[in-house]
Amino acid sequence: MRTRYVERNLDGAQSAGQSFSQTRRWWDTAGIAFGVLVFFVLTLAFTASQFGWLPYDPDQADLDLILAPLGSPGHILGTDFFGRDLATRLIVGVNAYFLPALGAVAVSLTIGATLGLAAGFRGGPVGLATHYTCTLVEAIPRLLLVLFAVTVYQPDIYHIMLIIGLTGFPGLATRLRLRIRHLREQSFFESALASGVSLQTILFKHLLWHHCRPLFLIHASQAMGEAILFETSLSYLGFGVQEPTPSWGNMVQTGSDYLLQGNFWPSTLPAAAIAITLIAFYLFADAFERRAQDRQNP
Amino acid sequence: MKGSPHLEIENLQAYFYASADRTFVRAVTGVDLCVMRGETLALIGESGSGKSVTALSALGLLKGDPGIVAGRICLHTDEGPRELLAGLDRCVTIERTPERPLSISKNGPAWDRQQKRNFVGVRGKEIAAIFQNPRTAFNPYLMVGEQIVENIRLHTPTKLYQEAYDQALYWLERVGLEPAAERFDNFPYGLSGGMCQRAMLAMTLAAEPALLIADEPTTGLDATLRTAILELLAELQRNLGFTLLMISHDLHVVRRLAQRVAVFYNGVIVERGPSLAMLSANDIPKHPYTQALLDAQPVRVSPKPRRLIALQGDVPSPIGEAAGCRFAPRCTHAKGINAKRCEHESPPFFQVSSDHQLACWLYTDSKEVSVRGVDA
Repeated sequence: MRTRYVERNLDGAQSAGQSFSQTRRWWDTAGIAFGVLVFFVLTLAFTASQFGWLPYDPDQADLDLILAPLGSPGHILGTDFFGRDLATRLIVGVNAYFLPALGAVAVSLTIGATLGLAAGFRGGPVGLATHYTCTLVEAIPRLLLVLFAVTVYQPDIYHIMLIIGLTGFPGLATRLRLRIRHLREQSFFESALASGVSLQTILFKHLLWHHCRPLFLIHASQAMGEAILFETSLSYLGFGVQEPTPSWGNMVQTGSDYLLQGNFWPSTLPAAAIAITLIAFYLFADAFERRAQDRQNP
Repeated sequence: MKGSPHLEIENLQAYFYASADRTFVRAVTGVDLCVMRGETLALIGESGSGKSVTALSALGLLKGDPGIVAGRICLHTDEGPRELLAGLDRCVTIERTPERPLSISKNGPAWDRQQKRNFVGVRGKEIAAIFQNPRTAFNPYLMVGEQIVENIRLHTPTKLYQEAYDQALYWLERVGLEPAAERFDNFPYGLSGGMCQRAMLAMTLAAEPALLIADEPTTGLDATLRTAILELLAELQRNLGFTLLMISHDLHVVRRLAQRVAVFYNGVIVERGPSLAMLSANDIPKHPYTQALLDAQPVRVSPKPRRLIALQGDVPSPIGEAAGCRFAPRCTHAKGINAKRCEHESPPFFQVSSDHQLACWLYTDSKEVSVRGVDA
């Protein structure tokens, strides 16, 4: 009897552990799938607005249908205070940040990868200089920097995103530096050298591609979320995309005037879109990071 | 080709800079070694005595600053001899002044370029190496088989993936990893230490190297695995005919596998000769350090239970220049009338039998060997 009790107990413990890790794995898969789905929808929206596959003209005002509520016939997401179709404007709003944010991600990936690889591999003064540079850049409040640039130079969104990209590298550079520094002390590095693999192959193929691939994707996802947040914040504050060109940020801003009258959807819908997008990117990064860690420490 | 020199190391000197003490630390000072084609030569000695430094120098993988400062390493390949340290002495200047007994400056970039040039086509193809900790010697994110395939495509005329795959399976079977197709798909963490070392052997030998350096290949494996791996290594060497330069702490292993052995102490070789004679407890003359190593080694069959004798004292400091016999402070013979000479004069090699030389003042009656390096 006693033995059976113990056995059952052990079984219970084991299945509890399994179910926990299974649940977590399920959530991670869901997070990754959600991120991929949202990115796919954004790409679709971007393509649609580029080719003009839209239900309505985003600037076409219909004064008979001002502030039509959700689910109105013909306007499934309702209209705003000019009677413009909200669904169309949400789709076109993706334009405001999609390409600039991708550019920002590319810039920060390039700088971060170069700096991180050089610092991690060379170490010494190069590593120290990178470390201090990263800390310094990370300490700059980026929104203030962007607002400063906006007030002084009134740049367009691509220049703003260039600033975001140029200041977005420290996260990747630091993580890559530590990773490469750790990896180059491993004996497979020496073993690969001893079997005649060239240093370039080891660095780029073995270390960057095989070991640090997840880092790039995680950083790209986080950076994309950040860039979107910056664009929408700026547009909300009135420094980014100006009316009548739609951006999710300025849609929230203009819509909020009607919030207190009970017309919540012109501002809540774009706000929800922003929230969902950001959550999707961050969830993706989070889940993907855990996946990568699982793979690293099986 | 058997019996001709394969790898000659002459007067190899390597130093490291110790930034804490702001001084240079001796790693090896004047190592002369000759590995014959097809033989097994073992390097023994305690940790830090310069065995690995010597082996890594031959691979051009010695890390640290300044590293090799002088010497000659000649590798005899099928295409002719290659000087692996050629032109490197131009990049290093050694100065000895009264204020600073030793100062070494090195032109790092020029050194790296020259070394890269010297080692084109050597690593992996001419000289391959296996290290201790086989589990970390594989890239953890790649299947073991993929890494073997990569090595095959890098070093042999086989470039097609499918052919390389078949070869990889052959090698996996050859080292006793079966079923090979399944092991091919294993990640390194899915294999045990012994299996990893087998896979490592498959990977290095798939490139058909002429010389294999095994740096403590069985450290970290349990006793039965150790025997199995060494049997495998011996069998592969018999059939493939590569030269084996082995580093080991285990005298039983050395006696079993190696034909010749070189004993390192504090950065120099103190004795070299045939392993069977040197490492058996008979009356063949031995360097006191070799004797101490033997005394500290358990013996399985002995007429009466014997106490293990640990060597007393410490290794002399590797900082600065050494005078006299390195072993003198710990040597039981360096007392009385011998003491002065042992402490102040560095002993040359004395020839005690046809291929057995040792550096100890005890054997002054024997013929002094004037030629450095070649000890055949």
